[in-house]
Formats: sequence, structure tokens, C-alpha cells
Amino acid sequence: MKGPIERIMVYIDGSEESLIACEYAVLLARAVSAELLATYVVNTRALNELVKARIFLSEEEAEYSRDMEEDAKRYLDHAVRTGAQKGVTIEPIRTAGSVHQELNRIIEERKVDLLVLGELAHVRSRRDEFYNEAERAMRSVHCSVLIVKDEERVEDLFELD
Amino acid sequence: MALIDNITEQVIKVPLTETTKEGVLKELLQLLTATGKVQDETAALNALLERESRGSTGLENGVAIPHAKTDAVAGVLVAIGIAPQGIDFEAHDGQPSKAFFLILAPSDQSSAHIEALSEIARMTRSAAFLRTLIGSENPKEVVELIRD
Repeated sequence: MKGPIERIMVYIDGSEESLIACEYAVLLARAVSAELLATYVVNTRALNELVKARIFLSEEEAEYSRDMEEDAKRYLDHAVRTGAQKGVTIEPIRTAGSVHQELNRIIEERKVDLLVLGELAHVRSRRDEFYNEAERAMRSVHCSVLIVKDEERVEDLFELD
Repeated sequence: MALIDNITEQVIKVPLTETTKEGVLKELLQLLTATGKVQDETAALNALLERESRGSTGLENGVAIPHAKTDAVAGVLVAIGIAPQGIDFEAHDGQPSKAFFLILAPSDQSSAHIEALSEIARMTRSAAFLRTLIGSENPKEVVELIRD
């Protein structure tokens, strides 16, 4: 009989919170024998907006685009290594576009049962509902969402397990 | 971490006392240094000045968003300054700048840096938000406005 969680996806954006979420997702995937995907979205939509708003010079756009590609590789490699430490295979997915739209697309295409996100802002603002990418993803995806909190506990679990 | 978590009264100056571009950059940077999160203030200032030398970050409608990548910081940092009288920041529209959002980020956190810039860009598109922001009389009012 199939369990309720067969495929988990963790969203990695390079923040400390997302890396902790990755550790938790690895432990969870192993515990429930689920497949684990790790996704990094190169946020080209935001980059384009910054150029349109003339906050970025065109040379900066190219520079930051390269930086984000390097970040994607660095953090996805880190995620794969995190999984390997616990014997869990992580499929890294690098994509580009609008973060919440890309997460939605991959969740649909890959039939993800559970999205794992790092801790959100401590302060809630009406603006955050519209501007924060993780919050937008949390509200808009069709699958269940797990928000990983208590960084110390997760690190202890990961170290001791 | 969302941008809003980084915005506290400690990193807001109302009104700014400096009246030149470099003075404003230093004044805002000092707010961040006082939080203990800037490891090398000179390196951070040089990164901001280098970015300004490539083109002003003074935008339109009284908004300036000076920003730079620097490994003098470990995470994305934001400071806000208000100058109701306006300061010549060589803005794109030639008008004095009144609301300043200074952002610093390390080179390995480009996504968070871009997301922070993007959040500020969206916030400042609202004329009503900008009017209220520039009319703020103290840091507390700025925090309340941003968290509204």
C-alpha cells in the first residue's frame, strides 16, 4: 500500500533556513521512504524587474545572473551531499523564472506530495503575502506544505541520527 | 529570511543629517556597523562607492536604492534613511532623493539580494506608501509602515 508521502520536494534558495529545511527533508524522506527532490529557482523574473525599474545596470544583470547560476550549482551540490550523508539520494532541479510559478509547475509535473520550506519571516506583513517568494509558494501550491522550524533541534536530529 | 525581519528601528535614520551622496552612504552604513553585522566598514563603503561610480542608484520619485555585493557582510543587510528636504543623489529624474534604502549582501547570496531589492522596488512603486514614508517622523513610524 502506498503511503501518503511518496515524493517530497525541498525548496533551496541559499538561505540558512532553506539549508536546515533540506536537512529535515532528508531525515523525513528516509523515515517514510520517499523520493526527494531539491529545487533551486534562478529568479529571473525579479532580475528582469530590477532592470526595468533601472535599479540594475545591464552589466549588473549579467553579473547577477551568473552569480545566481553559480549559487544554484553550489547549493544544489550542497543538498546532494546532505542527502548522501544519510544515504538519501536527492534529485537536484535547477530552473529559472518566477519562484512560486516554477515551484507550482514542478509540483504538478512531478506529482510532489509534500513541499518542504525553510522558516518564514517572524514578522508577518500584508506586503509579505505578495512579495515574499516562499510565502507565495506556501499559499499557492496544491500539495501539502511543511514549514521547518526550530533550527537547533533539526541540526541536533541531523547530527545524532 | 524575509527582508522585513531585517528592518528594525536600529537600522533606520529619520531624518538623515548628512547632505551629500557619500555622507548619506556613510551615515546609513554606520547604522549597520552598529548592529555588529558589518565585518569591514571600509570594504563595504568602497563596494557602495564603486557601484555608484558605475551609475547612480538614485531612481525616480525621490527614491534611492544604493546597493553592493561585499563579503564584508555575512547576510543581506538593509538600512533606511529619510531626508524630507531631499539630497542630490544624481537621480535618474534629476530630482532630489528623499527615501534611501541601502542594501548590502555577500557574493554567495545573490538570490536573497535580488529578492530584497525586488521587495523594495515593489514597495516604493506605491505613491501613497512613499508619501507616508517620507512624512515619517521617527524610525518607529517607518517600521510600522513597512510592517503594515
